[in-house]
This record gives sequence, C-alpha cells and structure tokens, in this order.
Amino acid sequence: MSCELVERDLDAYLDRELDAESSTAVREHVTTCAACRRQLAEREALARLVRGAPYYSAPERLRARVLAQATRSQSVRRIFTLAAAAVLVLSVGAGMTLWRSASSRANAIADEVVSDHVRSLMANHLFDVQSTDLHTVKPWFLGKLDFSPPVIDLASIGFPLVGGRLDYIGGRPVAALVYQRQKHTINVFISPEGDDPSVRDLVLTVRGFNIRHWIHNGMSFWAVSDLNSAELSEFAKTLQAS
Amino acid sequence: MRPRVFDEAVLPHLDAAFNYARWLTRNDVEAEDVVQDACVRAMRFFSSLRGDDARAWLFTIVRNTWYSRVSRRASVAAGSPLKDGQDQWPDNALDPEERLLQQHTVAVVRAALEQLPVDFREVIVLREIEGLSYKEIAAVVGVPIGTVMSRLARARDRLQTILKLASPRETLR
Repeated sequence: MSCELVERDLDAYLDRELDAESSTAVREHVTTCAACRRQLAEREALARLVRGAPYYSAPERLRARVLAQATRSQSVRRIFTLAAAAVLVLSVGAGMTLWRSASSRANAIADEVVSDHVRSLMANHLFDVQSTDLHTVKPWFLGKLDFSPPVIDLASIGFPLVGGRLDYIGGRPVAALVYQRQKHTINVFISPEGDDPSVRDLVLTVRGFNIRHWIHNGMSFWAVSDLNSAELSEFAKTLQAS
Repeated sequence: MRPRVFDEAVLPHLDAAFNYARWLTRNDVEAEDVVQDACVRAMRFFSSLRGDDARAWLFTIVRNTWYSRVSRRASVAAGSPLKDGQDQWPDNALDPEERLLQQHTVAVVRAALEQLPVDFREVIVLREIEGLSYKEIAAVVGVPIGTVMSRLARARDRLQTILKLASPRETLR
C-alpha cells in the first residue's frame, strides 16, 4: 500500500469504518513507514484531545419544559382518540375487538433492556458498587444473586469497567455491569440462560440505542449503549472471546 | 422497534440534542431555544419517525431547526454554512504565550473547535463526541458519505494546525 493510499484511508481506519482487508494493509504499512506512523500518532493524539472537549448536558429546566409539553400533547391526543372511538362505537352500534400485534419475546426484553439502561442514566443510579477493580465488583454480587456473573475488565482495549449494580429484567434479578467508552455508558445485563431458544444472538436498535445479545457459557448477555454500532460490536466480540 | 410515545423517543436523547445544538450555536441560551423548538417539531412530526434511530432523527430535527433560525436572521456570518473559498480562519485567535500556557487543555480544545466553520465542527462533534458512524452522520447532515469523509479529514487537518499537533507533511506531498 502506498503512502497516498494510507493517507486517504487513515481517518476511516481510525474511525473503524474501513473493511478488514484495507485495515490490515494500513496497519502493516505503518509498521514500516515512519512518516505515516507519525501521522497516525498525530491523529490519535487529536482524537484524544477532542474527546476531552466539554459535553453540554441539557439544563434541568429544559428537560422539565419538554416533558410538560409532551404530557400536554399526549393528553390532548388521548381525548381525541377517546372521542373518535366513542363515535365509532356509536355508529357501528356494536362492540369491537381491539388487539395489538404481540411483539416477540426478544423485542419485549430488548425494550426492557433499553428502559433499564435509560433509567440507570437518568435516575443517577448507575452503580451499587463503583469500582474499576474487578476483584471488588465480582465479590459484591456474591449472596445477592443465585449465580456468579463473569466480570471482565476491558480497559486494555478502551472499555474500562466502572462498576456494577443489581437490576431486574423480566421480573428476575440480573447482574448489571457498567462499562465506559469516552462519554458513552455501556450497560451489560447478565443472567443465566433462559430456556427460550428463540432469543439468541441479536443485533438491534431500539429508540436510538444499539443492542447486542448473545449466549455464552450458559449465561445470557444483553449489552446496550448509545455508542455507535461498530464500536459496540467490537466490545461485544471481545467480551464473548474473553 | 419504534418508540410508542414521544417522551420515550426524545427524553433519553435530550442531552445529546442539547450538546449538538450547543456546539452548533456556541451559545447556551440559543441552544436551549433551538432544542425546545426542535422538540415541538419532533412532537408534530413524531409519526415521521419510521425506524429505530430516534437519536439520529432528533439530531436531524435539531439541525433543521437551527438552520431555519439562522436563515431567518441571515446575518450570522460565523454560523453560516461553509462556502467555497471560505477556508481562512484567524490564526491569531489565541496568542502564542496563551497557547503555550493552556496547551492541550479543555479550554484550548473548545476554542479550536469553536473557530472551525460550522460544517466542519458538526461532523467532528457527531463523530468524536457523539460517536455516530459515517452513515449516520451522512443521514443527519444530509450529504453523501464521501462528503462526510472529506469534511472530517479537512476538519481534523485544520484542528491539528490550530492545536499545533501537525508536523510538516511536505515529505508526503
């Protein structure tokens, strides 16, 4: 691979947007070319700096205003819906059967996974045990669960473990491990594998959150984050292989 | 899976929406106004949310809201979209002494980002801070992926120059 090609692909390489073959070519080139290696190092240094830029969270009053707006508009819509339904019932003069397409079990769990993730972030209840030391996190779950969740730190590849807590999915207690990727939080929910074979390896997006689900060594894993799909896949793949 | 109700779709991404708006506008008050207007629009167009990506959908609405405000005012030179040849920026925005003192601090990074043209700034924010993929950025900004890539590359080159991270590249050119 020539220096020009490497220069062209350098950003896509760093952004993990390059296919495997080209990535390998870039990686091999920079081991032998000092100029391109320096460019890569500069880009990496820049990325670290930029990720340290301020993150502006929404002020509380804005959140309150938007919530009030939403509640108002929903109650108006509900009145309209009720009125429309009443008219329909009156004109047809008979009862009607309403049914909603039943979402599959996997979708129901995925929905709950996202709700738990959102709640953990909004209610400021991310941790019961806050520690980057897996020898602190792992024993914490002892006696609180009837299984021992695998606790693995992935700080070496940029996904440090930051803590854990107890949570509930499908009405049963699960271990929630919390990982961090820059500004993004990843929740991983772990419980013993259920007996529903329909819920296997899954890649989903629900309400803007990316989800990965897999079964490994008799345990069911649900990873959820607003992290982009490629990086969450990398995270899930590494966790499965650990 | 499409969110059932508006607040389920929007509230979890309010911080992200505000962060994006704050970087677009570079102003707290205006960012708040933009996000609030965007939420009103989002509510009205809630049925247009087809897929799952509520966050990217909300970013698009925030962006459109901001652009329509900007074009109404039509006088925001600093905030206007990038035109060809508008590639110059004040190199003396920070004096060298100050730059040395604060080098690599949050304040410098922020200042560097804020002096980028908005078209460059937003791709950096969406990619580095919000972690969107090229495809998602292309959808939010409404340009082809190739344009996202070239804007990102140029934005980074420029940031490296501002932050004095770059070494001379003559050897490669």
